[in-house]
Parts: sequence; C-alpha cells; structure tokens
Amino acid sequence: MNESLLEILRCPLDKAELTLEDAEYDGDEIVSGTLVCTECGERYPIEDGIPNLLPPDMREGTPA
Amino acid sequence: MRPDLSPVSLYSRGGVVSPSVKGQEWYQADDVAEEYDDKRFSRGGQLIDRREKTAVLEALAPLDDRRVLEIACGTGRFTTMMADRGADVVGLDISSAMLQQGRAKAVQMDVADRLEFLRGDAGRLPFPDDHFDTVVAMRFFHLADDPESFLREMRRVSREQIVFDTFNRFSARSVYNWALPMGSRLYSKSEVAVLLAKTDLTLRGVEDDFIVPYGLYRSMPNVLAEPIRTVDRAVGSLSAADHLASVSYWNTKVR
Repeated sequence: MNESLLEILRCPLDKAELTLEDAEYDGDEIVSGTLVCTECGERYPIEDGIPNLLPPDMREGTPA
Repeated sequence: MRPDLSPVSLYSRGGVVSPSVKGQEWYQADDVAEEYDDKRFSRGGQLIDRREKTAVLEALAPLDDRRVLEIACGTGRFTTMMADRGADVVGLDISSAMLQQGRAKAVQMDVADRLEFLRGDAGRLPFPDDHFDTVVAMRFFHLADDPESFLREMRRVSREQIVFDTFNRFSARSVYNWALPMGSRLYSKSEVAVLLAKTDLTLRGVEDDFIVPYGLYRSMPNVLAEPIRTVDRAVGSLSAADHLASVSYWNTKVR
C-alpha cells in the first residue's frame, strides 16, 4: 500500500483514525506493519502490502 | 466474496447497438493483460465482460480524477479499468488471493499509482463519511443477505453516486438458480425502489439486459453467442419485456 492510503483509512468499528506501527517499506510502498485504532486500540495488520481492515470477528481463525 | 461460478451480468442497450470504440480499446488491452480473467471470461463470456465494463464506464463518465471505491472488487477487473481511465480507485474485497491478483494486474497495466487494494467488510467500511465521489458494487447484491444495511454503508462513504447491479426476480435466471454454489438473491424493481427510498438515494437511470440466462453465454463460443445476443437484444428493446430481464444496472445519486 502507498502511505497516502493511510490518510483515508479508518477503523471499521468506530471510524476513528489509525496510526501506523512497525512499518517496513519497499521504496514508497508499505509492505508490512500494523494499523492501530486511536480510539479503541484494535490492531489491523498489513499483509504482503495489503492492509487487512476486516473487523476482528471476520478474520481467519475467528470462530464463526 | 464472489464464488467462481458467480452470475455474470451485463448492461444497457445503447452500448450494444453502437459499441464505443473506446470500449473496444480497453477490452483488448485487458484481454492481453488478464490471463486470469481470460479463463473466466472466455468464449461467450467475452460479450458479458465487454458489456459490463461499458456499463460501468458510461455510468461513471467522466472518470478523470474521480474518487471511486469498488466493493467486492475481486481480481480488479473494474478497478484496473477505472484507474486506467484516470480515476483514483480503491478496491475492497474479503479475499486476499483475489486482491493479490488485482495488484499484479495493476502493475502490469501500469496503474498501480492510482489504485489501492485492501481487505475489508462491505458492511463496515473502513473509510470516513462522504470520502468517495462514487461507490461501485457489481455482482455484489445477489450475495447480500441484508441489502439495506450494505447500501446504507455505501451511501455513508459516497458523496455523489452509487452504481450497482441486481439480478431480477421473475427472470429466466430463476430457472437455474439452484445450480449456483450459494443461493442468489433476486430482486424485483419495486424492492430496489424501496431500498433506494430507505437509503436516501435518487434514481438516475436503470438499464436492463440479458434475457437469456448468462450461463448460456458463458458456455458458448462467440460465433454462436453473437447471433443469440442479437435476438436477445431485439426482444429486450420491447418495453413489455422489461420485467423479464435477468439483470438491471442501477445508477443512483446521493440525496
């Protein structure tokens, strides 16, 4: 993902802004890192350059 | 989000009677670039692919610098096309594998700088209110168990326009609906009208197409699909046949 995407991403649960932690870059691209909600603290991983903004109940390994 | 056998849909009369030259250009560019979709949209499916893309292009024109979100973007068939036409596009899907295909395609088509992908839930979009000019959801609503809540959430993030398709109740599609991997939700025109009213959307236009079920087109070589398409088109041009249409394209405006 490009860093500019961060400006428009919000927490899917409360729509609060996110901060980027532990970012690894490949040129201008963020290839991994964690997006953290400034309101509820929920953490969203960036996997292979694609941010995973699925709410926690929809992520892999989450019981249905 | 879309199963491999998900229904395919198509678009309006104008584009078919007089296919735009621009449309043919992008189609051929895609055809070269998209080996993945080539499998899915081979043979008769090419007709569907072409028409569907034209539907999106016409609804969104002009695309220059338009901020677009596509819900359930899959492998990026529409997102790459819209980015190629100058839009700033975000594609959202539930599937990581689909999105990786989309990214590869974006790089191939040299549109990666105006196209971002992310995983997310269509019912809980990770964006602020009114951020996008247009939200597109193609082949999505037939999979939606609660269309009103999805449409409401799309409207929240759209400033101007929402474009989507539905498969129609009472159409020929009902006959083979059982064959789909999951039950498709079919809509009547009045149901969609109620949905729009409830979510504060105004109808800009609706186009109906494809009376013959899509499954026929997909399994048919182009040489056979074209003549049948011609008959389909002739029948579709009669207003009395509107309620038989298999698919409708809805172009709506945020109130």
